[in-house]
Amino acid sequence: MNTQVNIKTGRRRFTANVLTLLVGVVAVLVLGHASVQAQTTSTSTVDSSITIKTNGTVSDPSGAIKLSGNVTIKCRRVIDNTVATLPPLVLLDFDFSQLTGTTGTGKTLVTYVTGDNHVTAVRPFQASDTIVVTVPYFDSTKDVLSASSFLATATLNFDISTGTLTSGTLTYGTNVFKSSGVGTFTVN
Amino acid sequence: MSDRNFFLSEKASKARLREAERARQNRWDIIKAHSQGQVTRRDLIKMGVLTSAGLLVPISGLSPFARSAFADSNIPTGLPPSPLFGVQPFSAPMPRFDVLPRDPVSVLNPTPTAQANTTPQPVDPALGGGTGPIEGRPPGPIWAHQQFTQLPPVIAIQATMEGAKTNNVYNPGVPSLQNSGINPASPIPFKFHPGLPTQNVLKDWTYNGTIPPKLMLARYGEPVLFRLSNKLPVNQNDNGGFGIHTISTHEHNGHHGAENDGFTGAFFFPNQFYDYHYPVVLAGRNTINTTATDARASGPTDAGGLNKIPGDWHETMSTHWFHDHMFSFTAQNVYKGMAGMFNIYSGLDRGAEDIVDGVNLRLPSGRASVSGKSWGNLDYDVNLMLADKAWDANGQLAFDKFEFDGFLGDQMTVNLTFKPFMEVERRKYRFRILNGSVSRFFKIALSDGSPMIQIGNDGNLLPSPVVLTQLDEQGIAERYDIVIDFSRYSVGQKVWMVNLAEHADGKKVDKDLTISEALSGNSPDPCVGKFLEFRVARNPAQPDISQVPSTLIPNPDLSAIPVARERIFEFNRGAGQTTNDPVSSFFGPWGIETDNQGGTLAADFGRISAAPRFGTREVWTLKNGGGGWDHPIHIHFEECQTLARDGSAANVPAWERGRKDVWRLRPGGEVKITLQFRDFGGMFMEHCHNTMHEDNAMLLRWEIDDGGAPFLRPLPTPRPTPQGVTFVAPTDILPTAF
Repeated sequence: MNTQVNIKTGRRRFTANVLTLLVGVVAVLVLGHASVQAQTTSTSTVDSSITIKTNGTVSDPSGAIKLSGNVTIKCRRVIDNTVATLPPLVLLDFDFSQLTGTTGTGKTLVTYVTGDNHVTAVRPFQASDTIVVTVPYFDSTKDVLSASSFLATATLNFDISTGTLTSGTLTYGTNVFKSSGVGTFTVN
Repeated sequence: MSDRNFFLSEKASKARLREAERARQNRWDIIKAHSQGQVTRRDLIKMGVLTSAGLLVPISGLSPFARSAFADSNIPTGLPPSPLFGVQPFSAPMPRFDVLPRDPVSVLNPTPTAQANTTPQPVDPALGGGTGPIEGRPPGPIWAHQQFTQLPPVIAIQATMEGAKTNNVYNPGVPSLQNSGINPASPIPFKFHPGLPTQNVLKDWTYNGTIPPKLMLARYGEPVLFRLSNKLPVNQNDNGGFGIHTISTHEHNGHHGAENDGFTGAFFFPNQFYDYHYPVVLAGRNTINTTATDARASGPTDAGGLNKIPGDWHETMSTHWFHDHMFSFTAQNVYKGMAGMFNIYSGLDRGAEDIVDGVNLRLPSGRASVSGKSWGNLDYDVNLMLADKAWDANGQLAFDKFEFDGFLGDQMTVNLTFKPFMEVERRKYRFRILNGSVSRFFKIALSDGSPMIQIGNDGNLLPSPVVLTQLDEQGIAERYDIVIDFSRYSVGQKVWMVNLAEHADGKKVDKDLTISEALSGNSPDPCVGKFLEFRVARNPAQPDISQVPSTLIPNPDLSAIPVARERIFEFNRGAGQTTNDPVSSFFGPWGIETDNQGGTLAADFGRISAAPRFGTREVWTLKNGGGGWDHPIHIHFEECQTLARDGSAANVPAWERGRKDVWRLRPGGEVKITLQFRDFGGMFMEHCHNTMHEDNAMLLRWEIDDGGAPFLRPLPTPRPTPQGVTFVAPTDILPTAF
């Protein structure tokens, strides 16, 4: 291949706009290079967690389910050092596995569990964040195929200076998406 | 959400859209010139288009992240949105995969051989002329099919790699009723939607040159010979502006010899073929259950029985995929369409839900008594390949290979169809979900927040099913097998799969949205929200007798196997290059540091970074060296167990407690895994599966080279040419490799 000829051909295809913009690129190169080198050494993470004692009630075809149990929320704040203008992130892990629910009493008592359910989420790091997630639950005597879901609304508070999760609340409710997230169509 | 978004909104001003289109055209000219060898990366650095670290210089009129001349703040130029030509989401049926024919191996001509077939043939002048071998596999005993005599191929699967064309031989493997009414006899033009333009032959390169993507079916105990013929243009410039005509197919993540692994440096040329020998065996076949007495270690027979085989049944795999692995071109080639899926059937995972024998897990699939197929029923076992794409103003597939942080498309496809719908029955379905993107992560939920049951992760069924209402983020190349029970819906209802993971660029997920946030339509990421519509079309003709047992496939117990050594791999930005081999080395902003040796190195497939001893077990730590990006790290050859995340076993979620072959490290995170090195040998890879990172140049070679003849320690590096493959000594061997 005649590289020299092809290079000229390729360059002629570049618009004048691009070629004009290449003037003064040396300064950009220096900045870019320095930036890349710096990125290899300055990752910052801060780990924290809270455990919230929770309770609530959600409606189910079998009756109102009373929920109670501890929910542990782990938080890792990560400094994003590739672009200074981006906010740091938090990696959240909600552990709902200790949450149980009941309906009825005595012989009609049914216990519900959430399985080994965790919800993970990446969120921008900010002083406060509200996250709405759905959580599965099922009769502890049955298998996971019988699972349904309820809504959990977490309001979390973070210490901006230390990067830690400091407090939060969790409220439970009926899964509103069960109706809004389903549509209809005409069957042929 | 920052204002640093990869794609402009369709609502952006005309001036900004014109500006973005000009910038894309400018990049396109450069990309084309570079892909066709008219300019080198060094030329581009001299011209100021690239930084010395391989980054696109952020200058207006070129970079999508440069400040816009038509915006008040620091808003980037962005990429222009892909035109839709009036096409509406969920207006086309989702095609099931196209099942590749399985023939007796006797149909192959020439007959496959243990060593590469070096019969000479004329080489096209565009490739240098002269003569060269008909098979592109490296010649000689080191690259011969291992255990070819003990495990002779029984089934032949043949495919070509070629440019986009109409599919006239579509085989979905299911009746039309189970394929949303698609008539398989109707020709299928290569379009991402019936209302979108037909793709140019040079823009899309796929297995057999057609869509839907291809599916291989295999069963344990029945070795397969996959013959891939390269029918791509001989002229390297005939690539539609991106991609390269030299190819290497990785069966992700097969347990077989390295000669069949799609090693990045074992590529082959147009007019050649490559025979991949997939023995489809259980790991540990030489040391565990060697007399094949355990019925759980088995493949299905045609008569509904079990063909017992040696090996550890705990290592049974189910969901693989196959894709191109050409050195420094994987992103471009896979994006062009070089990807398919590979279902493996076993006594445990039979693909026949009505066979009751105490071994079959009876997962959703279909009935042998209805189809007459004792294994591999696909009626209710559905492969989904998710991939974000972009196209230019003419509707042709578009790519930007200078997005070294990662390339994002702005249009979601499933099985290479733009936002399709799928008709389902009121019963359980299994979905084998593959993230087939270049750089995009997904996070999947159902639009109504209903539970899904995750049963598999990567190639492996989990020890126990996990019930979830939103899956974990799914990195590139990860496979999640899930079960959805549509019996909770009424006929006439529809529900959607929703993507919750919002990207601003290709480095990582910026934010995981809630369902309501994702459905609001307010995300600046056009691939957030609904992407697949399920239409509950009818009741099943037969009762749903499929099961999801509480125990699936437990992990093998490795506690009695000593850990021979530990290694640390740190995935960083800002790589250096200690070698400069023009074929095996490639320089880019990404790299890997091995064992804290003080240097992050860019890829060189001639460098040996690790060489575990044959027959041993090791513990590897995979560290993310930065907080501003995520890396889905893939290790070839053997499935691994995850021991810890961020230093603690308690941080390993339930859906990662099986075996895996890809790990999202998460920003600032690390993963500790354990793996064995057994049964086969040769040179394998470890790399980031954000394929833009992989190509630029976050990839290393490791090898098993002390398992006896014919292997050498170290192994010589293949150097393919159209006239034949030669071998050279390794360019480098890291001090801690051996």
